[in-house]
Amino acid sequence: MAEILALDDVQDATVLIGKILKKKGHNVHTFTEEDDAINFAKKNKVDLAILDIKLKRMSGVEVLAELKKSTPDMHAIMLTGYPTVETAREAISLGADEYCVKPIDRDELEEKVEKVLES
Amino acid sequence: MEYYRPEISGRWMIGLTNMVDLPTQTLSPQTKEQGFLRVFQKVTRLISMVLDHQQVMDTIVSSLPDLLDIDACTIRLLDVDTNTFVLGAAHGLSLEYLSRKSIDTEETMEMIKSGYPVAKVDLDEDPTYRDRDAAAKEGIKSVLTLPILFQDAIIGIMRLLTKSQRLFTAEEISFSMALAEQVGVAISNGRMFKEMENQVDFMNEVQKISRMVNSTLDMDSVLNTIVQRVPVSMEAKGCTLRLFNPLTNQLELVASYGVSEKYLKQSNIEDEKNVTMVLSGEPVAIYDVASDDRVLNKKNMMEEGINSLLAVPITVGKEIIGVLRIFSEKHHSFTSTEVNFAVTVSEAGGTAIQNARIYQKINLLFNQIEENERFLGDILDCIRPELLVVDKDRHVVLANKVCQQRLGMEEADILGMEYHELCSSNKDRSACPVDDVLRDGKPATYEHTVELKDGEHWLERTASPMFDENGNVEFVIEIIRDITTKRTLEKEQMERVELQGVVELAGTVAHEINTPLFAALGTAQILEEDIEKQELIADVQTIIRNLKNISELTKKMTDMTGFERKDYVGEANIVEFK
Repeated sequence: MAEILALDDVQDATVLIGKILKKKGHNVHTFTEEDDAINFAKKNKVDLAILDIKLKRMSGVEVLAELKKSTPDMHAIMLTGYPTVETAREAISLGADEYCVKPIDRDELEEKVEKVLES
Repeated sequence: MEYYRPEISGRWMIGLTNMVDLPTQTLSPQTKEQGFLRVFQKVTRLISMVLDHQQVMDTIVSSLPDLLDIDACTIRLLDVDTNTFVLGAAHGLSLEYLSRKSIDTEETMEMIKSGYPVAKVDLDEDPTYRDRDAAAKEGIKSVLTLPILFQDAIIGIMRLLTKSQRLFTAEEISFSMALAEQVGVAISNGRMFKEMENQVDFMNEVQKISRMVNSTLDMDSVLNTIVQRVPVSMEAKGCTLRLFNPLTNQLELVASYGVSEKYLKQSNIEDEKNVTMVLSGEPVAIYDVASDDRVLNKKNMMEEGINSLLAVPITVGKEIIGVLRIFSEKHHSFTSTEVNFAVTVSEAGGTAIQNARIYQKINLLFNQIEENERFLGDILDCIRPELLVVDKDRHVVLANKVCQQRLGMEEADILGMEYHELCSSNKDRSACPVDDVLRDGKPATYEHTVELKDGEHWLERTASPMFDENGNVEFVIEIIRDITTKRTLEKEQMERVELQGVVELAGTVAHEINTPLFAALGTAQILEEDIEKQELIADVQTIIRNLKNISELTKKMTDMTGFERKDYVGEANIVEFK
C-alpha cells in the first residue's frame, strides 16, 4: 500500500484516479490546487505523485520540481492531454518515472503505478 | 721707335715703322697712281662679282699678293662678343703660323682698334712681340696691318705681309686703307646679303617647322620635330628641349637630338645662369662655353664637344613653359637672325606643345568617359533586375542584358521600339507604371503575372521619372523584377503559419477534451465493473467504445503535422489531418 498524491485541475480526473487506485489498496490524496498539493507533500509521506502537466497556476513540471525538493525519493507519473517533446524531456530530467498521455486506459494506469512503485 | 705720318688726309694716316732703310722708289708718282687705280679697279671688279662675304674675303686674300707685290694676305673679322679678331681668310701662310696665339703686339692691336694702319718691319725681331719666333719661322719680315672699316666702325683687319724687308710708302698705305675700306663695304654687303638670305631661309624653315608641329597633335612628334629640325636648320650639333612639369614645377628633359646619353645624364641645368636668364624671357647666345660664366657645367659640355650655345625660352603667349638649347660644335657667334629664328620656332613649338597637351588631356578625359560608360554598362548588364529607359514618346532608349534575354531580342531591335509593343505580354494595359509616370510625374509600381516558357511568372514593375531642366518628364526608368520566387516563398510562409495555427488549435482542443474524456472513460470502465444488469452493461460498453473513438480522434489531433483542405458543402471546406 502506497501513499499517492494526485493533482489535476479537473476534479473529476482526480476523483477517477482516486477510485481506480484505491481499489488497488493505495491511499490516494487528490488535489486541484498546486499549493495544497505541495503543502501536503511537505507534511506527509508521499510515495508517488501523479501530476497533470497543465494546471491552474503552475505547470506540472514546476510542481514536480517543488515536490522533489521536500521528497527527493518520491516517484512521479506525469499525465498530459497534449504531449510535447519539451515537457517530456523536462519532466524526465526532474526525476519523473513515467510520462503518460490522456486519456489513459484504466489498466494502463494501474500497470504503470505498480511498475513505478516496484522500481 | 718713331711714328711716320704720311702726307695724306684722314685720321688713319699714322703709320708705325721700325728703324730700317726704305727701299728706293723707282716709279714716277703718275705711274704709281695709275698702278693703284688699276689694282683698285681690279679688286672692285672681283669683289663685285661675288655676294657671299666669305667669297669676298677669299677673293681679296688670293688676289692682293700679286696685285701689290706682297707674299701673303689675311683678313680677320671682329667678334663683337669676345672683342677679338677671328680669322676670316688667309693666303700665302702656313696653318701653323695662322694658329699662333697673338696676331701682333698689344700696342699694334690697340692702334688698329683705334682705326689706324700700322706698318712694321722686322716683325721677327720685335722684342715686344711674343710670337716673333713664329714670324721668324714663317719668314715674315714686314707687315702692314689695316683696319677694315664700315660706316666708321671696325669690322675686321687686313694684313699684308712680305718675306723681304719692305717699307710701305705713305701712298701705298693710303691706297691700302682705301682698298681695306672697299673690302669693308664688300664684306658688309656680303654679310647683309648673307643675313638676308639666312633670314629668308629661316623664314622658310620656320614656316616648315610650324606647319609640321601644327599638323600633329601627337606630343612626341611635335617635340622630335623641333629638336631635330632646329639644329639642322642652324647647322648646329644638337639640341635639347626641357619643359616644366606642371606637377613639380621642375624642368624635365622631354626631347633631345645630337647629344650623347652620357651628356644628358650628367647635364643638370637647374643652376645654370643661362637657363635662369632664359626663364626670365631673355634668349642667351654664348660664343665660348669654356670661358663664359653663364655656363656652369663647362666640363660636360667640353667633353661633349660643345663650344657655343644658344638658349631660348619656349613660350605660350606670355607664359614660359620650357627651354630650348641649341649646341654648336664650332665656335659660333649666333646672329640676331639665328636668335630670332630660334625664338620664333620656340614660340610656334610652344603653341604646338600646348595644343598637344590639351589634346592629351581631352583624350584622357574621353578615355575616362569611355571607361566610365563601359563600367556603368557592365553594371547595368550584371544587375539582376531588368532595366528599361523609355523617352517621353514611349520609345525604348535603353534595355539591359537581362531585359534583352527575357524578351529574347537583340539590343538593336529593342531600341526605338514602342514601349507597349515591347511589353505586349502584360495583358492589363491599364496597369502600366510608365503611363502613370508620364501622366503624373510620380514613381509608380505594379505587380502582375506573365506567361513565360517555363510557366507563370510574377513581375514587379517600378517606374521613376527623369525630369528635364523645365521639370517635365523626359525619360522614364523602369525596373522590372521577377518576384516569382518571393511570391512562392510568401505563399509557403502563409501556409506554414496557417498549418501552425491549425496544429496549435488542434492540440489545444485535444488537450481540453482529453482530461474530461479521461474522467468519463475511466468512470465508465469502473461503472462497467460495478453494475450487474446485463442490459446496462451493454449500454456502458457502448459509452466506453464511443469514448475510445473520441480518444482516437484527439490522438490524431495531437499527432497531426499537416492537413488537406477538402470541399464540404457550398463554399465551406473541411480539413483532413495528416
